[in-house]
Amino acid sequence: MTPSLREKFLTYLLVIIILVVFMTPIYLILVSSLKPSPIMFSRPPRFIFTPTLQNYYDLFTMRPFHLQILNSLLVALGSTAFSLTIGTMAAYAVSRIKHRRINDVAFWILSMRMFPPIAVVVPYYIIFKTMGLLDTPLALIIVYSTFNIPLTVWLMKGFFDEVPEALEEAAQVDGHGVIATFFRVTLPLTAPGLAVSAVFCFIFSWNEFLFALMLTGSKSQTVTVAVMSFWSSDAVQWGRIMAGSFVILIPGVIFVLTCQRWLVKGLTMGSVKG
Amino acid sequence: MSSVTLRKVVKRYGQVEVVHGIDLSVEEGEFVVLLGPSGCGKTTTLRMVAGLEDISAGQLEIAGRVVNDVAPKDRQIAMVFQNYALYPHMTVRQNMEFALKPQKLAANEVSARIAEAARILGLEPLLARKPAQLSGGQRQRVAMARAMVRTPKVFLFDEPLSNLDAKLRTQVRVEIAKLHRRLGTTVLYVTHDQVEAMTLADKIVIMKDGHIEQVGSPEEVFAKPRNLFVATFIGSPAMNLLPAKVAVVNGAPVLVANGFRLAAPPSIVSALDPGASVTLGIRPSDIRVDEAGDYEAVVEVDEYLGTEVLLNLRAGNHELVAQVPAAARPAPDRQSVRIGFDAARLHVFDTQSGEAIR
Repeated sequence: MTPSLREKFLTYLLVIIILVVFMTPIYLILVSSLKPSPIMFSRPPRFIFTPTLQNYYDLFTMRPFHLQILNSLLVALGSTAFSLTIGTMAAYAVSRIKHRRINDVAFWILSMRMFPPIAVVVPYYIIFKTMGLLDTPLALIIVYSTFNIPLTVWLMKGFFDEVPEALEEAAQVDGHGVIATFFRVTLPLTAPGLAVSAVFCFIFSWNEFLFALMLTGSKSQTVTVAVMSFWSSDAVQWGRIMAGSFVILIPGVIFVLTCQRWLVKGLTMGSVKG
Repeated sequence: MSSVTLRKVVKRYGQVEVVHGIDLSVEEGEFVVLLGPSGCGKTTTLRMVAGLEDISAGQLEIAGRVVNDVAPKDRQIAMVFQNYALYPHMTVRQNMEFALKPQKLAANEVSARIAEAARILGLEPLLARKPAQLSGGQRQRVAMARAMVRTPKVFLFDEPLSNLDAKLRTQVRVEIAKLHRRLGTTVLYVTHDQVEAMTLADKIVIMKDGHIEQVGSPEEVFAKPRNLFVATFIGSPAMNLLPAKVAVVNGAPVLVANGFRLAAPPSIVSALDPGASVTLGIRPSDIRVDEAGDYEAVVEVDEYLGTEVLLNLRAGNHELVAQVPAAARPAPDRQSVRIGFDAARLHVFDTQSGEAIR
């Protein structure tokens, strides 16, 4: 059914409203990061001005922001990779094991995600201090994975449930072992699930602030904490905070766009009649 | 040698036993069809042969080797699934290549086998397509080609035609028959459709509630059903059943069925006990409709099917279905016809046990 003119109009209107709501903060961050400090809070706001990259220059010269970006990337990609590896295998087990208590196990895994992070900050601090892992990316990778793995298990379980077991049986009868079947048949069919899980894990790890603040020092500081360091009791350096915030946005956007082509639904269509 | 032998094979799910110690022997090159209603254990049996279900007790041999604990991948079988089970992310060619991968063949051998299978099943123009771009019949042919390229010892088919429409079903059925004739591979085929079983099988295995009711050629199970279940399951329209008693008239046993007095089939005369309750079975095609018939029957409905007519008759208390050639169809204004039975073609079953009296 082709949409009527009225439906088209309403659709576009809705898209515009959503875009305005979501893009305004990003626009304000970008504009503020390019404004010279004196006109940052001028009233009425200045929309026409000569943009400056001074805030970006300061960001990378006053602080080792490039190293902090690397720290964040290492932590986020490390946690994402680890969580996807462990979470996917666990999800496959939960999806395929036929036992009456398996749903209890699945719920127990999910309950980890419900735990309030603040409650475990101090125990984590003590554990990592004892293990000598404070101010290392590994500490953050471990902590983030404890939140990312349950999420991955639940997301991937849904996708594995959708893959018909007949396909795996066919592969086994065709002479393939369990592992080859998993990697050559099952996993490729859950690519959209892997993409979704990867995006969620990456964004959570990239944006996380509380644990990064508590468990890292100067060596392993991530970008979220680094940006906040421009906020001191003496002054709030808004221009640099905005510049830092805009830079932080970029890897997330790139990551999501990279995964986007895998977020295609209906990959299993046509495999089994149903 | 690629025979399949089941000895006292049992399947249990927890406390529930669904296959009760069946014995079956499939000879090399034979086309054997497991036939039965839903839930009779035929698919479970096939899956045990494939290795997709564990065997709870008993012994399974493929090509003379006990394979109870052998993984499906090492059984040298190929299976065509009811729902095709084609790998959706692979093209038709890749589906076949993937099935050949474990055999580690040379590239030219792989290409040759795929080309041969594609030629036989008419898949050449479709090799680059993915399953989603194929019709139901094409998908089923790809599933068969995928099984074929592996040159297995045994082909297993799990209701391969049940998702196809009636016309396509006939077409693919013929293709399966041709394929078997060409390859000569041992086939174990599961279906609930008696037409498929009758047309394809060298040997039909009729199952009910996890037991084998009868094993025999299509002609045997149709002409000599071992019990009431087989008698009514095979044949369309179903066999007419009439409750009767064995009486003795002039020293010879006669079957008395409320208004009918029928001579007993000569072959079983000695096996009939006077006074016993029996069930008479008469195939619709064995009812004679002509003026020389002994009994009168009222035509309640007649169903015209082109080459033949099904007459729904009432004779006394009995409701019968007779199958007659279209040319013998009674005139539309005709209320009643004369019917007769041929004693040699009657089937007699012990009412209590349901077993055929032979």
